[in-house]
Amino acid sequence: MTHPADGRRAAFQVEVLQHLDAVYRYAYALTRDRSDAEDLTQDTFLQALRHWEQFRPGTNARAWLFTICRNLFLRQRERRAREEPTEAAVLDGIANATQAFAAPPDAGRALFEAPELGDVIRRELDKLPAEYREVVELSDLQDQSYADIAQVLGVPLGTVKSRLFRGRRLLQEALVDYARDAGLLPARGSDA
Amino acid sequence: MSDCQDVLRQLWEYLDGELPADEAEEIRDHLEDCAHCNPQYEFQLRFLDALVKAYAAREVPGPEFVRRLRAALDAIGTDLT
Repeated sequence: MTHPADGRRAAFQVEVLQHLDAVYRYAYALTRDRSDAEDLTQDTFLQALRHWEQFRPGTNARAWLFTICRNLFLRQRERRAREEPTEAAVLDGIANATQAFAAPPDAGRALFEAPELGDVIRRELDKLPAEYREVVELSDLQDQSYADIAQVLGVPLGTVKSRLFRGRRLLQEALVDYARDAGLLPARGSDA
Repeated sequence: MSDCQDVLRQLWEYLDGELPADEAEEIRDHLEDCAHCNPQYEFQLRFLDALVKAYAAREVPGPEFVRRLRAALDAIGTDLT
């Protein structure tokens, strides 16, 4: 006879553990530290197992895990009292300064064929302000829909879009700056 | 609809697959014909592709960590073979 706990374990394995890599990477995006990411990932899965009955079968298990992961991260950060109160205001200033696409379309060939591009992207992604980095991470790297990201972050859909688009623009600006510094693109004003 | 400004404004939503089918089709038609918008589309496509490739090369959890995680989960009642 099958014990109810066996079915619970099996369901957990099927639905949740397949997302281990994704959760670890999201935890790393939040913490930017390997050891902290491991701790946060472990806490996330332990929490998920303890509250497994709250998961609704057929819904997005990855988004559910991301929500747990993010809530744990925020709670830990609050405990450490390392919040930077001015960050939101700084972010607004940056965001308002960027309106259109950051990169000239003709920058594409030289930039995207640069062999070190992957390293540059990973470095610049780590440097993005946290609010933007986590939305870019969830959308572009974890392939979550705007609606699922809104659920994970607990913010309106419009906030997801504005953070995502501003995060991408900041990344593109950084990549174009890199391309100019590396001589892959002409320096600003060099043809004047 | 589908003048250049509208298309560029919705380009990322289009690339993200977030637009309704009819709006996506209008944008697709416009991008095929527009010499102004098409290079922006190509650039954004390559940018998002580069992000995904850069991400794929990032680290994954190490085997020692996975073992520890499994042991911790086992301890509260699940078998993780």
